[in-house]
Amino acid sequence: MGFLGTIGFLSPALLAGLLGLPVLWWLLRMTPPPPRREIFPAVRLLAGLPQDEETPARTPWWLLALRLLVATLIIVGLAHPVSAPGSLLSNRDGSVIIIVDDGWASAPGWDDRLAAMDALLIETERRGRPVRLLTTAAREPGALQTPGELISARELRPIVRALRPKPWMTDRTETLKVLQQIDDPGSSEIFWVADGLEENSDGKSPVLNSSDFALELQKTGPVNVLRGSSSELAWTLNINTTPTSDTAAGSIAAGGLSFVIHRAEPSERIESSLVARDVEGRILDSKQFSFAAGADKAQVAIDLPNDIRNRIARVEVSDASSAAEVFLMDERWRRRSVGLVSGQNVDSDQPLLSSHYYLQKALEPVAITKTGEIDQLLDASISVMILTDVGRIIGRDRNQLKTWIDKGGVLVRFAGPKLAQSGDDFVPVRLRTGNRVLAGAMTWSTPLPLMPFEETSPFHGLPIPDDVLIRQQVLAEPSASLSDRTWARLEDGTPIVTAEKRGKGWLVLIHATANADWSDLPFSGLFVSMLERVINLAHGVTPVTEGTGELKALQHLDAFGRLQNPQGSARTLGPKGLVAPDRPPGYYGSINAQQALNLGPALNPPVAFSSLPASIEEQTLAQRPELDFKPFLLSAAMALVLVDLFISLLMRGFVPGLRPVIGRTRTGSAAGLLLLICAALLAGTSSVWAQETDDEFAMAASLDTRLAYIITGDPAVDTMSRAGLTALTDVIRNRTSVEGSPPLGIDPEIDELVFFPLIYWPVTADMARLSDQALAKVDGFMKSGGTILFDTRDQQYAGIGSSLGGSTPERARLQNLLRRLDVPPLVPIPQKHILTRAFYLMQTWPGRWSGGRVWVERHQGGINDGVSSLVIGGHDWAAAWATDANGVPLAAVVPEGRRQRELAYRFGVNLVMYALTGNYKADQVHVPALLERLGQ
Amino acid sequence: MTASTPTNSRRLRAEHLGSTMPPLMVAAERVAATVAQGVHGRRRVGPGETFWQFRQYSQGDTPNSIDWRQSAKSDRVYVREREWEAAQTVWLWCDQSPSMDYSSDKEFESKHDRAALLTLATAALLVRGGEYISLLGTDLSPSTGRTALLRLSSELSGQHSDSVPPDVDLPRYADILWISDFLNPLSEIEKRARALAAAGVKGTLVQILDPAEASLPFKGHVQFEGLEGETGHNVGRADSLVVPYVQRLQARQAALTELASRLGWTFMVHHTNNSAQTALLSIYQALAFRSGAQA
Repeated sequence: MGFLGTIGFLSPALLAGLLGLPVLWWLLRMTPPPPRREIFPAVRLLAGLPQDEETPARTPWWLLALRLLVATLIIVGLAHPVSAPGSLLSNRDGSVIIIVDDGWASAPGWDDRLAAMDALLIETERRGRPVRLLTTAAREPGALQTPGELISARELRPIVRALRPKPWMTDRTETLKVLQQIDDPGSSEIFWVADGLEENSDGKSPVLNSSDFALELQKTGPVNVLRGSSSELAWTLNINTTPTSDTAAGSIAAGGLSFVIHRAEPSERIESSLVARDVEGRILDSKQFSFAAGADKAQVAIDLPNDIRNRIARVEVSDASSAAEVFLMDERWRRRSVGLVSGQNVDSDQPLLSSHYYLQKALEPVAITKTGEIDQLLDASISVMILTDVGRIIGRDRNQLKTWIDKGGVLVRFAGPKLAQSGDDFVPVRLRTGNRVLAGAMTWSTPLPLMPFEETSPFHGLPIPDDVLIRQQVLAEPSASLSDRTWARLEDGTPIVTAEKRGKGWLVLIHATANADWSDLPFSGLFVSMLERVINLAHGVTPVTEGTGELKALQHLDAFGRLQNPQGSARTLGPKGLVAPDRPPGYYGSINAQQALNLGPALNPPVAFSSLPASIEEQTLAQRPELDFKPFLLSAAMALVLVDLFISLLMRGFVPGLRPVIGRTRTGSAAGLLLLICAALLAGTSSVWAQETDDEFAMAASLDTRLAYIITGDPAVDTMSRAGLTALTDVIRNRTSVEGSPPLGIDPEIDELVFFPLIYWPVTADMARLSDQALAKVDGFMKSGGTILFDTRDQQYAGIGSSLGGSTPERARLQNLLRRLDVPPLVPIPQKHILTRAFYLMQTWPGRWSGGRVWVERHQGGINDGVSSLVIGGHDWAAAWATDANGVPLAAVVPEGRRQRELAYRFGVNLVMYALTGNYKADQVHVPALLERLGQ
Repeated sequence: MTASTPTNSRRLRAEHLGSTMPPLMVAAERVAATVAQGVHGRRRVGPGETFWQFRQYSQGDTPNSIDWRQSAKSDRVYVREREWEAAQTVWLWCDQSPSMDYSSDKEFESKHDRAALLTLATAALLVRGGEYISLLGTDLSPSTGRTALLRLSSELSGQHSDSVPPDVDLPRYADILWISDFLNPLSEIEKRARALAAAGVKGTLVQILDPAEASLPFKGHVQFEGLEGETGHNVGRADSLVVPYVQRLQARQAALTELASRLGWTFMVHHTNNSAQTALLSIYQALAFRSGAQA
């Protein structure tokens, strides 16, 4: 079979159109190109002149040829020529059997496989041979392989197209058994679309070698093997770190995650990277790795700070193409969730002295802490539990705790008065009742420091500060195992930390309290380091399984390495499990306690096919592209049509510049062209210009302290706002230390608001409705500490004493706006509000109008330094503030004159001070009292 | 100055064109009987500047016509009389028909542009010579001076007109400068020329031709279209027509020359690819040194 196929036509009937070419040729010859048009004033003189030739000029031969070529290209192109790949089928009759490897290893290059099968089916369809499809991986979890029905290729094509690789292994032995049941009439021809990898041996049953399999297939009929190129063979990714903490305690501290990647074809050097992602798919880390030339293995270590490491949800080879290149992480790989249980109830009274406080501070950098009762914490799938001075663990907790430790939980207990009085057996060593006081009123001994840690201790290597002294401890009964179980000692050799391994977990006892009652340890950095080491012992605990020990499937990994929601029958997972058709990889358990099942651990390092027997035909998928000539031919025809059009125009003298034309008409088109170019240039520069002005705005707004007003679009209101704020800025500059620059008008739809401390927002009845974007900006401005002064300017209509009722269109409009914002509860300015004393002492808030109320946020504690994000009123303050360039007021104030205007300015000053300084002024109220206390 | 820029610049060009020539005074054999004062002495008493004779004062003469110096020499009172000097009026006709609006190549001016230029240049020269000018077919009354020139210039701004001068009554012995491409039917031209000549008008015919019209430089299959709604002409091979066309054109020019000589007029041909100066010089000579004319 040649690689260079012949050219075939998908709709050969259209080629009959070629017969029409001679007719076209004749027609084209008969209709010459229209004459060139020439303007000639002396045409009268031409009339009646004898002409040599009456027959008009013929279409030039080359134009004729060009047009015939176009026609030919179109006809041939429509006939849809393709370079048909060489025939796959032999000329015999009988059925065709397609065997597809659709295990995980087929995922890379699956489209090529589909295309190859489709091509094969098309050919089979043409020959009219029946076909049968066998897949080597189980079709569904738990389903047995079945021989496909013998059907026509036309029926099979949609089935093949819907075929997806499965995230589990193939079972070719089973396939052979199925194949042997088949008894097709005539001799069958077999096509094996192979994944190129030997099957995995699980150690139990002997595994069928690929060449053996091929030879077995050959007993049924001639075998063709279609496989992808060797560069497309799947890799496998596995974690190198064992989840069970069997390793010696001392070596655990390393803490990184190590991964190993295998490939089947140890050929040239390949570089790639390993990517760690969190639950939402964000990349947390990316590590380069490379297969050295000839190596089939690469190792990568991912070493991240604990809190980031704990967020890893999945590790994958970049551009992972199969499930084997993805490794899902679960709680077992995380270092975190430390549960705190306290036996003391009094802690809450003095939180800074409680042991929880010390522990939480110490654990902050290494783990997430949860506080609660034992049974609650166990449900929350924690890996370390710390009990501070819990005397006796009782009841159901006992059993649960025991199981949990056996499964790998680490229980850390701190001693305390309760434990000293009544111990239980959840301690690594037997304890004496009562405690040992080293530096008490009744003792001669002095507090003891720690002895350097022994090599067997997980704390080995930690520096011991001199000032850590232990004043009180619980004592262990001496026993033979005591020394083995001791991780830390005091200088006199008495154990201060003891530990015992129970099942997969650890039981650790600190013989002192977690607060500073008994020792200085909680004050020192050593405490933090020791806790970190202890927590590193924990490798996560598999969730406690209930009843049958089976877990519900949460999410499945498909063969391409994508997480999918489970479909079809509920699948379960035993406590121990490798990936199998009834246990697809993915997450199991509950949302709170997920357990990941990965494909990698179930796989041996991949091995490529050994060379197949010579009698087997082999083909590579990648070398079978089918070239479709149709688009090329049609675009060539299109291009030639354009050429022809140009030539025609040229011959008729329509191409400007190439033929003389009349003087006057030219200028118009030239001007048009020029205009077009100019417009294009302008359009190009305008966006750049906008960008620059954007920056300019930000600079202007942020380099100086400025007030801002919202541009309403009503010129009268905007002018007044501008004049008002300008005058107010001047007043503030004269009277206070605030040196403001002239105000800016802003449009919330366009401009950024965050630069301004205070925005004056005159509300007009016909104010445009804000877009959601602008609303978000306004909301963000208010939340980030900005203050907006809404002014409905309608106090004179609303009447004295009216509340915020929608009695005027402006108020209705404002209510409309506020309804869409996240507005806190409002109150009229209370008598002792900071606004009443931020600069001037005042109780009324007149603007152009007087009376009425001004509303602020009800004070809600320290949010935004206690500054209300809203001040709402209707006094038209801007008009009261506004002056012209000579300082002459622009608007009359009603009802009073000067005094009211002065009060309006004072309100403005107070408001600006309030927005700028927050509750500083409120604190200032206490200054006399403070000074008095200081005795001055 | 409110004249539009193109006409303005054309006028400036025209003035520049004539700046190298002396003022043009029409060699009028007989000056048209207009009242306009000019440079052409009428050999009789009348308004003018040149001294003609002294005459004894008679009743009815205005006192300020008395020549005091002459009167002081004798006892009689003399009145100074001047020769009646009249200006000749040259009627200009510049063909502004659509067929003039053509140039075969962007290098060349259109025929209309060239014709207007020549008209204006001649007018400028005439004005400098003190003659009166008027454009036929407009309500421009014969006048002289810059104003006349400005008005003329704006009249030449390209409103289309007929190919031949309108049939208006010209004063006897007027002069006419007739610039056209003379591609309209010969009979039309001849009829109008004869009518004018019958009124004693002296004429100068200037034919402006584009080089393409002189040589027919086209090849191949061409559809010729006229500019004045003439029927188009489809030519299989344009190059085969060159010889007969040129012959026909020359025949027409011969006919025009013959017509002109019969009427005592002048006919000249000017191609737009030649310098306008040459043409202006020819026109100058034709007007100033008309054979047998007296200054």
